[in-house]
Amino acid sequence: MRKALCIASKDLRQVFLGGSGPVQAVLLGLLLVFIFSLSAAPGERIPAQGAAAIFWLASSFSLVLIFNTLFHMEEENEVATALLLAPVSPQGVWLGKAIGGMVLLLLTQLFFLPAIIVFLGVEPPDDLLFGGLLVLGVDVGLTVLGSLLGAVSRGSEARDSLLSIIVFPLQIPLLLAGIKVGAALLSAEPVQGYMDWFGIIGAFDAVFLGAAMILFPFVFGSE
Amino acid sequence: MSGRVSVLEDRSEEGVMDSGGSGLLHLEGVSHFFGPRLIFKNVSLVLGPGRVLLVAGPNGAGKSTLLRIMAGLVEPSRGEVRRGPGPEDVAYMGHATFLYPGLTALQNLQFWNSMYEIAAHEDALLDLLKRVGLHGFVHERAGTFSRGMAQRLSLARVLLIDPLLLFLDEPTTGLDTGSQKMLFQEIKACRERGASVVWVSHDVGRDVSRADLVLEIRGGRAGYCGPADAYLAAGEGHA
Repeated sequence: MRKALCIASKDLRQVFLGGSGPVQAVLLGLLLVFIFSLSAAPGERIPAQGAAAIFWLASSFSLVLIFNTLFHMEEENEVATALLLAPVSPQGVWLGKAIGGMVLLLLTQLFFLPAIIVFLGVEPPDDLLFGGLLVLGVDVGLTVLGSLLGAVSRGSEARDSLLSIIVFPLQIPLLLAGIKVGAALLSAEPVQGYMDWFGIIGAFDAVFLGAAMILFPFVFGSE
Repeated sequence: MSGRVSVLEDRSEEGVMDSGGSGLLHLEGVSHFFGPRLIFKNVSLVLGPGRVLLVAGPNGAGKSTLLRIMAGLVEPSRGEVRRGPGPEDVAYMGHATFLYPGLTALQNLQFWNSMYEIAAHEDALLDLLKRVGLHGFVHERAGTFSRGMAQRLSLARVLLIDPLLLFLDEPTTGLDTGSQKMLFQEIKACRERGASVVWVSHDVGRDVSRADLVLEIRGGRAGYCGPADAYLAAGEGHA
């Protein structure tokens, strides 16, 4: 765990010093929100479900950029080779990348939430704790998956498209649950009826965690 | 042609061993193919502590591939590789510098310090940077370094690990004469403290005198396996 935190800390330091990765992710997400806001007539509000969908779509696109950035760092100067030789388990590398990606995704979402309130005209969620738990729950699944699949596309010249192609279909259950619960939160509906969706989020988080822990050594292993 | 088994057994006083002994590195019948193309076959050797093995051969002979197989980065197509030390005591210095360009020289060392759980204090890391002549560039990002400076920082990373088994793939690339001299001193220091060094060289004539043993890959097999002085006496190093 300590080595995973070292990897995450090293990644975040490089990202914040370099800056381009997260800035691109934020700008892309904000652009999406803005473009969708143009679909509504002046004064018209985007339905809560639509706003929640746009929030998760922006998050999902940002995720691809974030993990492209995080794994590109290991390709420059072939640092991944040195990591493979170091006494750190592949799962430690995967966890470090997932933690770094989670922090960056949460940071980008801090920009997206006010953007959907301002541009799409939805009400801020009343239950911030529940909203926070929703975002964390979905983000865990997204980043766990992103960290695994970022390694799959490692070294591929078609990394951007490859990562998108394999990440998006797998994200669908999580995104659907996020949209359903998010819509309830943004429309101030009672969320108790949506607890089943929370169960789905938890289940997919667990499946992706298990799969990533087993599969990561194979995709980030020797040549 | 049947595969030739080349066994390099070092039975010197410093490192008596055989295939069942306590060598730091054992290769048994290692062969490698890229698709249908044979790179080399049936390479076997045992390397004892405190020895420097020079891997020689023409371009494309598979020297770097063999080194990566020895280090555990590539699985051989056939055969077995056994390393005595664990990953915490193995270091590899390749063509690439293995540096994070976005981090400073000190931050790069701090990261590997954490990964290898060496717990060296910052002063020790600064001393190390001084040792490789980078004391004036401690807080400079590695991405701004010239090839030679990056190679010296890469050497500092290897020295930080203080390995028992060191793999060097043409380590003098990009180094000026002074830095090469420093590298040779560090190789000598490694040998003197009982570490083994496997060194791929493209300048055998220059480097063979610093080695104990030579393994030459030629024509898809181990063309020569044996003491460096015999290799040198045969004039092979200057071929």
